[in-house]
Amino acid sequence: MTRRQFLATTAAAVSAGNRLRGRVPCVLLDLQRDSLRESVAGYAAGFQPRVVRADMPEIPPCAVLLVPAALEISPLAARAIVRCLHAGATAILESAAGFLDERAFCAQRTVLQDYFDINAEPPVQLWPRQTPYVDYLWPYAAKLRDFSRVVPLGGQAGERIAWVDRLPVALKRGSGRGTLIFLGSPLGPALWAGDVEARGWVSAVLATAS
Amino acid sequence: MKKSIGDNMIPKDWGFDRGLDLIKKAGFDGIELWLGDVPWFQMSTSDSEVRELRRKVENAGLVVSNVSTGLHWGSPLSARDPRVRAQAARIVERQIETARLLGSDAILVVAGLVTDEVPYNEVYQRCLDALRPLGEAATRAGVKIGCENCNSEQRFLISPREFWQFLNDVNRPAVGIHLDVGNIHDTGFAEQWIEMHGPRITRIHLKDVLKHRGRCGDQSVYTNLFLGDNNWPAIRAALTKVGYDGWLIAEMEARYRYAPDQQFYDTAQAMDRLISGRL
Repeated sequence: MTRRQFLATTAAAVSAGNRLRGRVPCVLLDLQRDSLRESVAGYAAGFQPRVVRADMPEIPPCAVLLVPAALEISPLAARAIVRCLHAGATAILESAAGFLDERAFCAQRTVLQDYFDINAEPPVQLWPRQTPYVDYLWPYAAKLRDFSRVVPLGGQAGERIAWVDRLPVALKRGSGRGTLIFLGSPLGPALWAGDVEARGWVSAVLATAS
Repeated sequence: MKKSIGDNMIPKDWGFDRGLDLIKKAGFDGIELWLGDVPWFQMSTSDSEVRELRRKVENAGLVVSNVSTGLHWGSPLSARDPRVRAQAARIVERQIETARLLGSDAILVVAGLVTDEVPYNEVYQRCLDALRPLGEAATRAGVKIGCENCNSEQRFLISPREFWQFLNDVNRPAVGIHLDVGNIHDTGFAEQWIEMHGPRITRIHLKDVLKHRGRCGDQSVYTNLFLGDNNWPAIRAALTKVGYDGWLIAEMEARYRYAPDQQFYDTAQAMDRLISGRL
Protein backbone atom coordinates (compact mmCIF):
# COMPACT_ATOMS: atom_id res chain seq x y z
CA MET A 1 0.00 0.00 0.00
CA THR A 2 1.35 3.44 -0.90
CA ARG A 3 1.37 6.37 1.53
CA ARG A 4 -1.46 7.95 -0.42
CA GLN A 5 -3.52 4.76 -0.23
CA PHE A 6 -2.81 4.49 3.49
CA LEU A 7 -3.93 8.05 4.17
CA ALA A 8 -7.07 7.60 2.08
CA THR A 9 -7.87 4.37 3.88
CA THR A 10 -7.33 5.91 7.30
CA ALA A 11 -9.42 8.96 6.49
CA ALA A 12 -12.22 6.79 5.18
CA ALA A 13 -12.06 4.62 8.28
CA VAL A 14 -12.38 7.64 10.57
CA SER A 15 -15.26 8.95 8.50
CA ALA A 16 -16.95 5.57 8.55
CA GLY A 17 -16.47 5.38 12.30
CA ASN A 18 -18.50 8.55 12.69
CA ARG A 19 -21.35 6.98 10.75
CA LEU A 20 -21.38 3.67 12.64
CA ARG A 21 -23.38 4.67 15.67
CA GLY A 22 -25.58 1.81 16.82
CA ARG A 23 -24.00 -0.71 14.46
CA VAL A 24 -21.35 -3.34 14.94
CA PRO A 25 -18.38 -2.33 12.77
CA CYS A 26 -17.70 -5.76 11.36
CA VAL A 27 -19.42 -9.15 11.51
CA LEU A 28 -18.10 -12.42 10.07
CA LEU A 29 -20.69 -14.97 9.03
CA ASP A 30 -18.96 -18.29 9.63
CA LEU A 31 -20.34 -20.92 7.25
CA GLN A 32 -18.30 -23.50 9.17
CA ARG A 33 -17.92 -26.74 7.19
CA ASP A 34 -19.31 -24.99 4.16
CA SER A 35 -16.30 -22.69 3.91
CA LEU A 36 -12.51 -22.83 3.62
CA ARG A 37 -11.43 -22.67 7.23
CA GLU A 38 -8.17 -20.87 6.51
CA SER A 39 -10.10 -18.05 4.88
CA VAL A 40 -12.30 -17.71 7.95
CA ALA A 41 -9.15 -17.69 10.09
CA GLY A 42 -7.58 -15.06 7.86
CA TYR A 43 -10.46 -12.59 8.08
CA ALA A 44 -10.99 -13.30 11.77
CA ALA A 45 -7.35 -12.66 12.64
CA GLY A 46 -7.01 -9.65 10.39
CA PHE A 47 -10.09 -7.65 11.26
CA GLN A 48 -11.35 -8.82 14.67
CA PRO A 49 -14.98 -9.14 13.53
CA ARG A 50 -17.83 -10.34 15.68
CA VAL A 51 -18.28 -13.94 14.54
CA VAL A 52 -21.77 -15.30 13.92
CA ARG A 53 -22.30 -18.96 13.09
CA ALA A 54 -24.29 -19.69 9.98
CA ASP A 55 -26.63 -22.07 11.75
CA MET A 56 -27.84 -19.27 14.02
CA PRO A 57 -27.53 -16.22 11.81
CA GLU A 58 -29.02 -13.53 14.02
CA ILE A 59 -26.69 -10.96 12.55
CA PRO A 60 -26.66 -7.69 14.48
CA PRO A 61 -26.90 -4.43 12.53
CA CYS A 62 -23.45 -3.98 11.07
CA ALA A 63 -21.44 -1.80 8.73
CA VAL A 64 -19.52 -4.69 7.19
CA LEU A 65 -20.45 -8.33 6.78
CA LEU A 66 -17.70 -10.78 5.83
CA VAL A 67 -18.60 -14.14 4.31
CA PRO A 68 -15.29 -15.95 3.76
CA ALA A 69 -14.67 -18.60 1.10
CA ALA A 70 -18.15 -20.03 0.75
CA LEU A 71 -18.42 -23.60 -0.46
CA GLU A 72 -22.12 -23.90 0.20
CA ILE A 73 -24.52 -21.13 1.12
CA SER A 74 -27.68 -22.35 2.79
CA PRO A 75 -30.95 -20.48 2.19
CA LEU A 76 -30.85 -19.50 5.88
CA ALA A 77 -27.43 -17.91 5.47
CA ALA A 78 -28.35 -16.32 2.15
CA ARG A 79 -31.42 -14.67 3.65
CA ALA A 80 -29.34 -13.35 6.53
CA ILE A 81 -26.85 -11.80 4.11
CA VAL A 82 -29.67 -10.21 2.11
CA ARG A 83 -31.16 -8.74 5.31
CA CYS A 84 -27.80 -7.15 6.11
CA LEU A 85 -27.57 -5.68 2.62
CA HIS A 86 -31.07 -4.25 2.87
CA ALA A 87 -30.14 -2.71 6.21
CA GLY A 88 -27.23 -0.88 4.58
CA ALA A 89 -24.23 -3.13 5.22
CA THR A 90 -21.33 -3.65 2.88
CA ALA A 91 -21.12 -7.42 2.41
CA ILE A 92 -17.98 -9.11 1.11
CA LEU A 93 -19.16 -12.44 -0.23
CA GLU A 94 -16.20 -14.62 -1.12
CA SER A 95 -16.78 -17.74 -3.20
CA ALA A 96 -14.59 -20.83 -2.98
CA ALA A 97 -16.77 -22.63 -5.49
CA GLY A 98 -13.73 -23.25 -7.63
CA PHE A 99 -12.98 -26.14 -5.29
CA LEU A 100 -16.38 -27.77 -5.64
CA ASP A 101 -17.47 -30.56 -7.91
CA GLU A 102 -19.91 -29.71 -10.67
CA ARG A 103 -23.03 -30.58 -8.73
CA ALA A 104 -22.06 -28.55 -5.67
CA PHE A 105 -21.00 -25.65 -7.86
CA CYS A 106 -24.38 -25.65 -9.56
CA ALA A 107 -26.04 -25.47 -6.15
CA GLN A 108 -23.96 -22.45 -5.18
CA ARG A 109 -24.58 -20.82 -8.56
CA THR A 110 -28.32 -21.16 -8.02
CA VAL A 111 -28.10 -19.51 -4.60
CA LEU A 112 -25.95 -16.69 -5.99
CA GLN A 113 -28.47 -16.13 -8.78
CA ASP A 114 -31.61 -16.42 -6.69
CA TYR A 115 -30.60 -14.38 -3.67
CA PHE A 116 -27.95 -11.98 -4.99
CA ASP A 117 -28.66 -11.79 -8.72
CA ILE A 118 -25.05 -12.82 -9.38
CA ASN A 119 -24.37 -14.66 -12.60
CA ALA A 120 -21.40 -16.96 -11.93
CA GLU A 121 -19.67 -18.89 -14.68
CA PRO A 122 -18.16 -22.36 -14.16
CA PRO A 123 -14.87 -22.34 -12.23
CA VAL A 124 -11.59 -21.92 -14.04
CA GLN A 125 -8.35 -23.65 -13.07
CA LEU A 126 -5.72 -20.94 -13.51
CA TRP A 127 -2.55 -22.98 -13.35
CA PRO A 128 -0.15 -23.44 -15.00
CA ARG A 129 0.20 -19.74 -15.76
CA GLN A 130 3.01 -17.20 -15.92
CA THR A 131 2.09 -14.72 -13.20
CA PRO A 132 0.35 -15.59 -9.94
CA TYR A 133 -1.76 -12.45 -9.60
CA VAL A 134 -5.28 -11.16 -9.88
CA ASP A 135 -5.51 -7.50 -10.89
CA TYR A 136 -7.80 -5.51 -8.62
CA LEU A 137 -8.92 -2.09 -9.82
CA TRP A 138 -10.97 -0.79 -6.90
CA PRO A 139 -10.67 0.79 -4.31
CA TYR A 140 -7.14 1.04 -5.64
CA ALA A 141 -5.17 -0.92 -8.16
CA ALA A 142 -3.40 -3.92 -6.65
CA LYS A 143 -1.92 -7.19 -7.76
CA LEU A 144 -2.94 -9.86 -5.25
CA ARG A 145 -2.14 -13.55 -5.40
CA ASP A 146 -4.62 -15.80 -7.10
CA PHE A 147 -5.91 -18.87 -5.27
CA SER A 148 -5.51 -21.35 -8.11
CA ARG A 149 -9.17 -21.57 -9.08
CA VAL A 150 -11.58 -18.73 -9.71
CA VAL A 151 -15.27 -18.25 -10.31
CA PRO A 152 -15.61 -15.83 -13.23
CA LEU A 153 -18.59 -13.57 -13.61
CA GLY A 154 -21.00 -13.58 -16.50
CA GLY A 155 -22.64 -10.48 -17.94
CA GLN A 156 -24.60 -8.55 -15.29
CA ALA A 157 -25.09 -5.21 -13.61
CA GLY A 158 -22.37 -3.83 -11.35
CA GLU A 159 -18.78 -2.69 -11.49
CA ARG A 160 -16.20 -5.35 -12.25
CA ILE A 161 -13.36 -4.68 -9.85
CA ALA A 162 -10.90 -7.50 -10.50
CA TRP A 163 -9.67 -9.42 -13.52
CA VAL A 164 -7.53 -12.43 -14.11
CA ASP A 165 -6.49 -13.67 -17.53
CA ARG A 166 -9.12 -11.36 -19.07
CA LEU A 167 -11.86 -12.84 -16.89
CA PRO A 168 -13.82 -10.65 -14.46
CA VAL A 169 -13.65 -12.26 -11.02
CA ALA A 170 -14.95 -9.63 -8.62
CA LEU A 171 -17.92 -7.32 -8.61
CA LYS A 172 -19.21 -4.31 -6.67
CA ARG A 173 -22.87 -3.45 -6.81
CA GLY A 174 -25.45 -1.56 -4.79
CA SER A 175 -27.89 -3.96 -3.15
CA GLY A 176 -30.79 -2.76 -1.02
CA ARG A 177 -29.36 0.11 1.00
CA GLY A 178 -26.00 -1.61 1.11
CA THR A 179 -23.20 -2.70 -1.17
CA LEU A 180 -22.43 -6.22 -2.29
CA ILE A 181 -18.83 -7.08 -3.10
CA PHE A 182 -18.46 -10.51 -4.66
CA LEU A 183 -15.00 -12.07 -4.78
CA GLY A 184 -14.59 -15.01 -7.12
CA SER A 185 -10.99 -15.54 -6.02
CA PRO A 186 -10.68 -16.03 -2.25
CA LEU A 187 -8.42 -13.58 -0.41
CA GLY A 188 -8.88 -14.99 3.08
CA PRO A 189 -6.14 -17.62 2.69
CA ALA A 190 -3.68 -14.88 1.74
CA LEU A 191 -4.72 -12.91 4.84
CA TRP A 192 -4.21 -16.05 6.91
CA ALA A 193 -0.74 -16.53 5.42
CA GLY A 194 0.23 -12.97 6.33
CA ASP A 195 0.02 -11.33 2.90
CA VAL A 196 0.46 -7.62 3.62
CA GLU A 197 -0.88 -6.46 0.26
CA ALA A 198 -4.06 -8.51 0.64
CA ARG A 199 -4.63 -7.10 4.08
CA GLY A 200 -4.13 -3.56 2.85
CA TRP A 201 -6.57 -4.04 0.00
CA VAL A 202 -9.30 -5.58 2.18
CA SER A 203 -8.76 -2.83 4.77
CA ALA A 204 -9.33 -0.26 2.07
CA VAL A 205 -12.54 -2.00 1.00
CA LEU A 206 -13.78 -2.11 4.60
CA ALA A 207 -13.01 1.56 4.97
CA THR A 208 -15.45 2.39 2.18
CA ALA A 209 -18.35 0.95 4.20
CA SER A 210 -20.79 3.55 5.42
CA MET B 1 23.13 -47.85 15.44
CA LYS B 2 21.13 -50.23 13.30
CA LYS B 3 21.00 -50.59 9.54
CA SER B 4 17.87 -50.53 7.42
CA ILE B 5 16.98 -50.15 3.76
CA GLY B 6 13.76 -49.30 1.94
CA ASP B 7 11.54 -51.97 0.43
CA ASN B 8 11.30 -49.71 -2.61
CA MET B 9 14.91 -50.70 -3.29
CA ILE B 10 13.87 -54.29 -3.90
CA PRO B 11 14.17 -55.01 -7.63
CA LYS B 12 10.72 -54.69 -9.17
CA ASP B 13 10.50 -58.27 -10.39
CA TRP B 14 11.69 -59.83 -7.14
CA GLY B 15 8.65 -59.60 -4.84
CA PHE B 16 8.57 -58.93 -1.12
CA ASP B 17 9.63 -62.35 0.17
CA ARG B 18 12.70 -62.63 -2.02
CA GLY B 19 13.56 -59.00 -1.19
CA LEU B 20 13.41 -59.70 2.54
CA ASP B 21 15.74 -62.63 2.07
CA LEU B 22 18.23 -60.44 0.24
CA ILE B 23 18.04 -57.66 2.83
CA LYS B 24 18.74 -60.11 5.63
CA LYS B 25 21.58 -61.83 3.78
CA ALA B 26 23.17 -58.47 2.97
CA GLY B 27 23.42 -57.78 6.69
CA PHE B 28 20.66 -55.30 7.42
CA ASP B 29 18.78 -55.30 10.72
CA GLY B 30 15.55 -53.84 9.44
CA ILE B 31 13.45 -52.66 6.56
CA GLU B 32 11.76 -49.36 5.83
CA LEU B 33 8.29 -49.89 4.35
CA TRP B 34 7.08 -47.37 1.78
CA LEU B 35 3.33 -46.90 1.87
CA GLY B 36 2.00 -46.48 -1.65
CA ASP B 37 5.32 -47.05 -3.39
CA VAL B 38 5.34 -50.83 -3.58
CA PRO B 39 2.58 -53.23 -4.62
CA TRP B 40 2.45 -55.05 -1.28
CA PHE B 41 1.85 -51.92 0.84
CA GLN B 42 -0.84 -49.59 -0.44
CA MET B 43 -3.46 -47.36 1.17
CA SER B 44 -5.92 -50.14 0.36
CA THR B 45 -3.83 -52.80 2.15
CA SER B 46 -5.96 -54.07 5.02
CA ASP B 47 -4.88 -54.32 8.65
CA SER B 48 -4.71 -58.08 8.43
CA GLU B 49 -2.53 -57.85 5.32
CA VAL B 50 -0.28 -55.37 7.14
CA ARG B 51 0.03 -57.86 10.02
CA GLU B 52 0.98 -60.47 7.48
CA LEU B 53 3.75 -58.17 6.20
CA ARG B 54 5.03 -57.88 9.75
CA ARG B 55 5.00 -61.63 10.16
CA LYS B 56 7.06 -62.02 6.99
CA VAL B 57 9.52 -59.34 8.11
CA GLU B 58 9.99 -60.98 11.49
CA ASN B 59 10.24 -64.47 10.00
CA ALA B 60 13.07 -63.14 7.88
CA GLY B 61 14.88 -62.06 11.04
CA LEU B 62 14.25 -58.36 10.48
CA VAL B 63 12.15 -55.60 12.04
CA VAL B 64 10.37 -52.63 10.49
CA SER B 65 12.50 -49.56 11.13
CA ASN B 66 9.84 -47.06 10.04
CA VAL B 67 6.99 -46.35 7.64
CA SER B 68 7.69 -43.89 4.86
CA THR B 69 5.69 -42.69 1.89
CA GLY B 70 6.12 -40.83 -1.35
CA LEU B 71 2.39 -40.20 -1.62
CA HIS B 72 2.69 -36.67 -0.28
CA TRP B 73 4.45 -35.55 -3.45
CA GLY B 74 1.10 -35.98 -5.20
CA SER B 75 -1.14 -35.15 -2.24
CA PRO B 76 0.70 -32.62 -0.10
CA LEU B 77 -0.43 -31.39 3.30
CA SER B 78 0.08 -27.91 1.90
CA ALA B 79 -2.37 -28.22 -1.00
CA ARG B 80 -4.88 -25.44 -1.48
CA ASP B 81 -7.67 -27.88 -2.25
CA PRO B 82 -9.15 -28.99 1.09
CA ARG B 83 -9.99 -32.40 -0.35
CA VAL B 84 -6.35 -33.00 -1.26
CA ARG B 85 -5.29 -31.87 2.21
CA ALA B 86 -7.79 -34.25 3.78
CA GLN B 87 -6.35 -37.09 1.72
CA ALA B 88 -2.82 -36.06 2.75
CA ALA B 89 -3.80 -36.13 6.41
CA ARG B 90 -5.43 -39.52 5.91
CA ILE B 91 -2.15 -40.83 4.48
CA VAL B 92 -0.31 -39.70 7.63
CA GLU B 93 -2.97 -41.27 9.81
CA ARG B 94 -2.63 -44.54 7.91
CA GLN B 95 1.14 -44.37 8.32
CA ILE B 96 0.65 -44.00 12.07
CA GLU B 97 -1.83 -46.88 12.16
CA THR B 98 0.38 -49.17 10.12
CA ALA B 99 3.50 -48.23 12.08
CA ARG B 100 1.74 -49.51 15.18
CA LEU B 101 0.62 -52.66 13.41
CA LEU B 102 4.17 -53.22 12.17
CA GLY B 103 5.76 -52.66 15.57
CA SER B 104 7.54 -49.46 14.57
CA ASP B 105 7.54 -46.11 16.32
CA ALA B 106 8.42 -43.76 13.45
CA ILE B 107 7.04 -42.50 10.17
CA LEU B 108 8.43 -40.25 7.46
CA VAL B 109 6.40 -37.35 6.09
CA VAL B 110 7.24 -34.88 3.32
CA ALA B 111 5.54 -31.99 5.01
CA GLY B 112 4.84 -29.46 2.27
CA LEU B 113 5.65 -28.41 -1.26
CA VAL B 114 6.40 -24.86 -2.28
CA THR B 115 5.58 -24.27 -5.94
CA ASP B 116 5.16 -21.28 -8.20
CA GLU B 117 1.44 -21.71 -7.58
CA VAL B 118 1.41 -22.24 -3.81
CA PRO B 119 3.74 -19.80 -2.06
CA TYR B 120 6.00 -20.38 0.89
CA ASN B 121 3.99 -18.56 3.56
CA GLU B 122 0.86 -20.54 2.74
CA VAL B 123 2.77 -23.82 2.79
CA TYR B 124 4.35 -22.99 6.14
CA GLN B 125 1.05 -22.11 7.78
CA ARG B 126 -0.81 -25.08 6.30
CA CYS B 127 1.85 -27.51 7.44
CA LEU B 128 1.64 -26.14 10.98
CA ASP B 129 -2.13 -26.51 10.93
CA ALA B 130 -1.88 -30.07 9.63
CA LEU B 131 0.95 -31.30 11.82
CA ARG B 132 -0.37 -30.07 15.15
CA PRO B 133 -3.36 -32.44 15.31
CA LEU B 134 -1.43 -35.19 13.57
CA GLY B 135 1.31 -34.76 16.17
CA GLU B 136 -1.24 -35.29 18.90
CA ALA B 137 -2.55 -38.39 17.16
CA ALA B 138 1.02 -39.65 16.87
CA THR B 139 1.63 -39.07 20.57
CA ARG B 140 -1.44 -41.11 21.43
CA ALA B 141 -0.17 -43.91 19.19
CA GLY B 142 3.37 -43.78 20.56
CA VAL B 143 4.74 -42.91 17.11
CA LYS B 144 7.11 -40.12 16.03
CA ILE B 145 6.45 -38.14 12.87
CA GLY B 146 9.72 -37.35 11.12
CA CYS B 147 9.39 -34.52 8.62
CA GLU B 148 11.99 -35.15 5.96
CA ASN B 149 14.30 -32.40 4.78
CA CYS B 150 13.74 -32.66 1.05
CA ASN B 151 15.30 -29.25 0.68
CA SER B 152 15.74 -28.69 -3.02
CA GLU B 153 12.84 -30.81 -4.22
CA GLN B 154 10.45 -29.32 -1.65
CA ARG B 155 11.81 -25.75 -1.85
CA PHE B 156 10.77 -25.57 1.79
CA LEU B 157 12.71 -25.34 5.07
CA ILE B 158 16.01 -25.03 3.26
CA SER B 159 18.28 -24.28 6.19
CA PRO B 160 18.70 -26.13 9.50
CA ARG B 161 17.75 -23.07 11.51
CA GLU B 162 14.58 -22.62 9.45
CA PHE B 163 13.68 -26.27 10.07
CA TRP B 164 14.42 -25.84 13.78
CA GLN B 165 12.08 -22.84 13.96
CA PHE B 166 9.41 -24.80 12.07
CA LEU B 167 9.54 -27.63 14.60
CA ASN B 168 9.36 -25.07 17.40
CA ASP B 169 6.26 -23.61 15.77
CA VAL B 170 4.66 -27.04 15.37
CA ASN B 171 5.44 -27.50 19.05
CA ARG B 172 4.45 -31.13 19.34
CA PRO B 173 7.00 -33.48 20.92
CA ALA B 174 6.01 -36.29 18.54
CA VAL B 175 6.98 -34.20 15.50
CA GLY B 176 10.68 -34.17 14.66
CA ILE B 177 12.96 -34.44 11.68
CA HIS B 178 13.70 -37.44 9.51
CA LEU B 179 17.11 -36.25 8.42
CA ASP B 180 18.37 -37.13 4.98
CA VAL B 181 22.08 -36.42 4.82
CA GLY B 182 22.06 -36.52 1.02
CA ASN B 183 19.29 -33.99 0.47
CA ILE B 184 21.24 -30.98 1.64
CA HIS B 185 23.16 -30.68 -1.62
CA ASP B 186 25.25 -27.52 -1.76
CA THR B 187 23.03 -25.51 0.58
CA GLY B 188 24.74 -26.64 3.76
CA PHE B 189 26.45 -29.42 5.63
CA ALA B 190 24.77 -32.56 6.94
CA GLU B 191 26.90 -32.61 10.08
CA GLN B 192 25.59 -29.18 11.04
CA TRP B 193 21.99 -30.34 10.61
CA ILE B 194 22.75 -33.32 12.88
CA GLU B 195 24.26 -31.06 15.53
CA MET B 196 21.41 -28.60 15.47
CA HIS B 197 18.59 -31.13 15.57
CA GLY B 198 20.17 -33.84 17.75
CA PRO B 199 17.37 -35.21 19.93
CA ARG B 200 14.68 -34.27 17.44
CA ILE B 201 16.07 -36.64 14.80
CA THR B 202 13.63 -39.52 14.43
CA ARG B 203 15.52 -41.47 11.73
CA ILE B 204 18.39 -40.84 9.31
CA HIS B 205 18.38 -41.51 5.59
CA LEU B 206 21.82 -42.24 4.19
CA LYS B 207 22.94 -41.51 0.69
CA ASP B 208 25.74 -39.58 -0.87
CA VAL B 209 25.38 -36.55 -3.07
CA LEU B 210 27.30 -35.10 -5.96
CA LYS B 211 26.92 -31.45 -5.13
CA HIS B 212 27.74 -30.01 -8.50
CA ARG B 213 25.73 -32.08 -10.92
CA GLY B 214 22.07 -31.96 -11.89
CA ARG B 215 19.23 -32.20 -9.41
CA CYS B 216 17.27 -35.42 -9.25
CA GLY B 217 15.44 -37.99 -11.34
CA ASP B 218 17.30 -38.65 -14.57
CA GLN B 219 19.92 -36.07 -13.63
CA SER B 220 20.34 -37.61 -10.21
CA VAL B 221 22.84 -36.02 -7.90
CA TYR B 222 22.46 -38.92 -5.51
CA THR B 223 24.93 -41.75 -5.46
CA ASN B 224 26.21 -44.56 -3.36
CA LEU B 225 27.82 -43.98 0.01
CA PHE B 226 31.37 -42.59 -0.16
CA LEU B 227 31.17 -41.77 -3.89
CA GLY B 228 29.82 -38.26 -3.43
CA ASP B 229 30.72 -35.06 -1.65
CA ASN B 230 29.32 -35.65 1.84
CA ASN B 231 31.94 -35.33 4.56
CA TRP B 232 31.38 -38.74 6.16
CA PRO B 233 33.95 -38.41 8.97
CA ALA B 234 32.25 -35.16 10.00
CA ILE B 235 28.81 -36.79 9.78
CA ARG B 236 30.01 -39.73 11.91
CA ALA B 237 31.53 -37.36 14.46
CA ALA B 238 28.32 -35.32 14.63
CA LEU B 239 26.29 -38.49 15.25
CA THR B 240 28.59 -39.32 18.15
CA LYS B 241 28.42 -35.78 19.46
CA VAL B 242 24.61 -35.71 19.61
CA GLY B 243 24.44 -39.29 20.87
CA TYR B 244 22.38 -40.60 17.95
CA ASP B 245 22.04 -44.34 18.30
CA GLY B 246 18.98 -44.97 16.17
CA TRP B 247 18.27 -46.31 12.72
CA LEU B 248 20.36 -45.47 9.68
CA ILE B 249 18.32 -46.16 6.56
CA ALA B 250 19.90 -46.50 3.15
CA GLU B 251 18.07 -44.65 0.41
CA MET B 252 19.81 -45.03 -2.92
CA GLU B 253 18.18 -43.19 -5.82
CA ALA B 254 20.59 -44.42 -8.46
CA ARG B 255 20.40 -48.19 -8.81
CA TYR B 256 22.98 -50.62 -10.05
CA ARG B 257 22.24 -51.25 -13.71
CA TYR B 258 23.45 -54.83 -13.40
CA ALA B 259 23.56 -57.23 -10.45
CA PRO B 260 21.06 -55.15 -8.44
CA ASP B 261 21.44 -57.38 -5.40
CA GLN B 262 25.10 -56.39 -5.19
CA GLN B 263 24.05 -52.83 -4.25
CA PHE B 264 22.47 -54.17 -1.07
CA TYR B 265 25.69 -55.93 0.01
CA ASP B 266 27.87 -52.95 -0.88
CA THR B 267 25.58 -50.51 0.90
CA ALA B 268 25.37 -52.63 4.05
CA GLN B 269 29.15 -52.89 4.19
CA ALA B 270 29.58 -49.16 3.66
CA MET B 271 27.14 -48.54 6.51
CA ASP B 272 29.15 -50.89 8.72
CA ARG B 273 32.23 -48.81 7.98
CA LEU B 274 30.38 -45.63 8.82
CA ILE B 275 29.03 -47.03 12.07
CA SER B 276 32.43 -48.35 13.10
CA GLY B 277 34.07 -45.05 12.20
CA ARG B 278 36.68 -46.70 9.96
CA LEU B 279 36.61 -43.98 7.33
